[in-house]
Amino acid sequence: MNGYKVGKNYREKISSPNISGKNLLMSDEKRWFRRIGSLTGKSILAVIASVSLLALFFIFFFIIRDALPFFRLEGVKNFFTSTAWYPSRENPEFGALAIFVGSALVTLGAVVVSVPLGILAALCLSDILPFTSRQYVKPVIEMLAAIPSVVYGFFALIVFAPYLQEKGGAALSMGTWIVLTPLALVLSVILGDILSSRAGKAEKKLRRVIFAMIIAVISIWGIYSLSDFFSGIKVVSGTNVFNVSIILGIMALPLIVSVSEDALSAVGRDMREGSYALGATRAETLLKVIVPAARSGIFAAIILGVMRALGETMVVWMASGNAASIPEPWFNLMEPVRTLTATIAGDMGEADQVTGSSRYYVLFAMAMCLLIFAFISNMVSEHFAKKARGMSK
Amino acid sequence: MIRWIRIFSSILLLTSALSLGTSDSAYAGKADKIVIDGSTTVGPIAKAFAEYYMSNNKDVNITVSESGSGNGAKSLLNKMCNIATMSRFMKDGEFSAAVKNGIMPVAHVVAVDGIAMIVHPSNPIKELSVEKVREIYKGKYTNWKQLGGPDVKIVMISRDTNSGTYETFEKLVMNKERIEENAEYVGSNGAVRQRVQSTPAAIGYVGLGFVDRTVKALTIEGVYPDSRSIASGVYPIARPLYMFTDRYPRLGTHLHAFITLYLTPRGQEIIEEIGFIPVTQYKYNK
Amino acid sequence: MEIQSRKLLNISFTSVGVMAILLMAISLVVLLFPIFMKGMGAFVFRETVENRELMLQRFGRGNREEVMADVRETEAARKPVYELMERFEEEMSKADSEFRRKYRSEYGDIKEMIGELLGPGPGDREGALIRKRYGKVRMDRALAKLDQILKVETYDYSDTSSMGKKVLKPRREIFSGTTLEPVFTILEKDINKMMKPGLKFYWRFLFDKSQDAHFFGGIWPEVLGTLYLSIGAMIFAIPFGIVAAIYLAEYAGEGRLTRLIRVSISSLAGVPSIVFGLFGLAFFINTMNISNSKSVMAGSLTLALLVLPIIIRASEEAIKSVPRGYREAAMSLGGGKWHTIISVVLPAALPGILTSIIVSLGRAAGETAPIIFTAAVSVGKPLAIWQTLSQPTPALPWSVYNLATEHEAVNEIRHVQYGMVLTLVVLVLLLNLTAIIIRKRVSKKLRR
Repeated sequence: MNGYKVGKNYREKISSPNISGKNLLMSDEKRWFRRIGSLTGKSILAVIASVSLLALFFIFFFIIRDALPFFRLEGVKNFFTSTAWYPSRENPEFGALAIFVGSALVTLGAVVVSVPLGILAALCLSDILPFTSRQYVKPVIEMLAAIPSVVYGFFALIVFAPYLQEKGGAALSMGTWIVLTPLALVLSVILGDILSSRAGKAEKKLRRVIFAMIIAVISIWGIYSLSDFFSGIKVVSGTNVFNVSIILGIMALPLIVSVSEDALSAVGRDMREGSYALGATRAETLLKVIVPAARSGIFAAIILGVMRALGETMVVWMASGNAASIPEPWFNLMEPVRTLTATIAGDMGEADQVTGSSRYYVLFAMAMCLLIFAFISNMVSEHFAKKARGMSK
Repeated sequence: MIRWIRIFSSILLLTSALSLGTSDSAYAGKADKIVIDGSTTVGPIAKAFAEYYMSNNKDVNITVSESGSGNGAKSLLNKMCNIATMSRFMKDGEFSAAVKNGIMPVAHVVAVDGIAMIVHPSNPIKELSVEKVREIYKGKYTNWKQLGGPDVKIVMISRDTNSGTYETFEKLVMNKERIEENAEYVGSNGAVRQRVQSTPAAIGYVGLGFVDRTVKALTIEGVYPDSRSIASGVYPIARPLYMFTDRYPRLGTHLHAFITLYLTPRGQEIIEEIGFIPVTQYKYNK
Repeated sequence: MEIQSRKLLNISFTSVGVMAILLMAISLVVLLFPIFMKGMGAFVFRETVENRELMLQRFGRGNREEVMADVRETEAARKPVYELMERFEEEMSKADSEFRRKYRSEYGDIKEMIGELLGPGPGDREGALIRKRYGKVRMDRALAKLDQILKVETYDYSDTSSMGKKVLKPRREIFSGTTLEPVFTILEKDINKMMKPGLKFYWRFLFDKSQDAHFFGGIWPEVLGTLYLSIGAMIFAIPFGIVAAIYLAEYAGEGRLTRLIRVSISSLAGVPSIVFGLFGLAFFINTMNISNSKSVMAGSLTLALLVLPIIIRASEEAIKSVPRGYREAAMSLGGGKWHTIISVVLPAALPGILTSIIVSLGRAAGETAPIIFTAAVSVGKPLAIWQTLSQPTPALPWSVYNLATEHEAVNEIRHVQYGMVLTLVVLVLLLNLTAIIIRKRVSKKLRR
């Protein structure tokens, strides 16, 4: 950078030393002017910096202004407890419980997908991978974060939904294998170890191997039967909770990975070295020392991921099926649901604000719920992040 | 750096000055922009008309949004558009609100549309009565078996509640009964068709212009929905499609020329080719 | 725990971790692969003679003599088909009513489909819509149509316990014994002569206007609209963002105002994008009356609010990471604080600020929810600069949604949707790549 230029008048001052006998000390008057000048400058800066504060205030003001009439007109109880969502009939009903549940289900699904993956990936990035290969993983994360949500939605609707409908069962059973096999193997090692811990030294090894084998066989059989059950499932509609959960999970990954990786890196080398010095393996160090130490930062990351999934519009609008009903039973992931964001985007159509119908206000009531939830989550995540910063110091 | 900042801030000042200085109005007789907003059913007609009109008149910019009939009405009475395309007539509330706002909505019936019930071509069901359709959407029939089909759960696809198609369906078929909660709602005619053509167990309803070879239209009350049966008024689920303007457009304006396109031979050809029925062919024999 | 099992667990943990990273990479590939493959189909495809004709007539491209020669050649190849159809129509008019009833709808189907494949035949009236005036312009669509003509899809409903099974049988069987029978053989054999397919690299897809609701032509209005919206958002967000960052990094103490500003920045970053859209509609259009319909201006302002937190945070980081020595040196040379910041600190922090701007440019280009109510329409002209203040525009993200769900011929224009998605993804990824490269260079510099 050629950034060492200093303004013209200053250069003159410096290059021509004080020959003219000018008083170097400023007069009081001048100093006073200078102070006033800097104060006004600073306050102008402060005002411009407060734009985000103003924006937030206005957002709250406008959303709540149009949300309150809804509660005045329709009451609060029905909105949160009834599932009858018939906004367009002559005597409309605005029971949004199913929509809230839909949002919650989709978000929960996204969390189940993204949190374990995200934290594992963050651990991998911060401690396991060598520095050179880390250079190649970072762009992948950035790319995942950069891809616009409408592209994810397009993929979910045009590619993933038909695939699920055709080969849904097969895909599910393969997924179970991929997810559960490593877990089962780890479990068999641990259990084998625990069961053989009371034996004498000579028998120990043999026993451990045998126990581990037995448990492994049992768990593999369990996985097999589970995947068999899954492959028999007929997916009636490809636009459902499962589809959206996977896609939203992938969308929330980058955020979770980068924030928790920061938290893990902030723990510092000395903790790690101390743990290794006491003879812990890397896995033990990470799970028993580093993750607990970075707890708050990881919490903050998870909350941010939840908010990302909850606030997403296009993907759920395109690929969740938009049925305002609670799936039967509630954990049936192959049913369509409807979320708050998709309702706002899709229903803005009929809402006429001039007549002040509840149909218009109800969307703002939903936006208000989203906004308040986002705000509270943000506060909580900030709190945790602060805690994490305090701990790392 | 300082120079850049100066240039940048001057640009900013200029743009903001411009934006505050020009408060143009779509109603100030400046006819270089026609904004159309509203129904997804009328969307194809509006889009084709807009492109046809713009190719003949280079000085006009016509924009078309397809966000739902209700949105069209809303935009019209907020003076946010010049033409609201709607697949239903304005509601009393909308109309009186418009009048209160100093807008006098004028309806132009541009075409007639039938709502076809569509199923996947692999579905053996060929014919239903209006009553049966109602019972399906009420949730009384949940399985195709009850209607003489195979043992498969029915997947109901419905248009979103903000669409004119939905309201017409509610009026002509549902008879004010509630649609069962677990129906899937999608945002457009195209999306309904897409869901049905990819879901063997599905049933949905779309405007006639959206029926193609990938789905099977059902015969309703013994009448198959095609241009002939709808034009003659025998098909039970048919409705006019509207464009609303604020007052009747003045002669000689682009708006007037555009809104009367549907009466020209070319306009009628376009309507027919998209798959709707020009009003001139419709016989009101009810 | 035994030492061996601990080792085993350690290894398995490591492999699970690496698997998580791999899964992430795989999901990226799975997502991008179909988009790239099918998106390229919008730019590179086998065109038919119909496309050459369309390009000549609608855009005035191509060599007139060559195209006309091609058209004549293909017309000669198509002649037998039309002759057979004519003969069959004669046969129908002479035959008894039984025969006519049997074949009327079947023949109607075929005539319609051949019209869709080859365009209007001799003696047909020219359609009003462009899509009716030409046959299939892409060879892949043409072959799919041919398949539909040759094989009739029927469903076997004999098994009542399940949905019908699709049965494909040659359509020729229906017409066996009539004069129309040879048509199918001719169509199958001579399709290449009738269509004269050739490889076409259609780079103008980006710069052509759409013809007939995206049936033909390109996506220029959408691309331009996206550029307007994202650059407009930057014009509003950059000054405010950088000034706020300077204030927070250099001037702000630990006062109540600073805390409030920080909280509001992080909250603003967490506001769902659809809420920004509602706010933009309620505030910029309905309250401030920036424009009396949707407009690029309103959309840009809304997007500017959305990217403001990103810019502020990243710029503040960049400013704070400028070494103290720079500031002290500048101050000791007699520069005032403000002057020091403008002439020394900002240039040193520029790469960091630049990356944040580039990343948020991509973010603004790809956001859909905020522009639904404030700026985006599905049909519109490419705008001139001054029109952006008052007029709405088509934009890539919204058009992707719109064409994928609301178009009347979703399957017919699938390649356009993929092309749009590809354009959007490539735009955003290129921006990010630039940011990554800048960052790499800077980190190298710092290490020196």
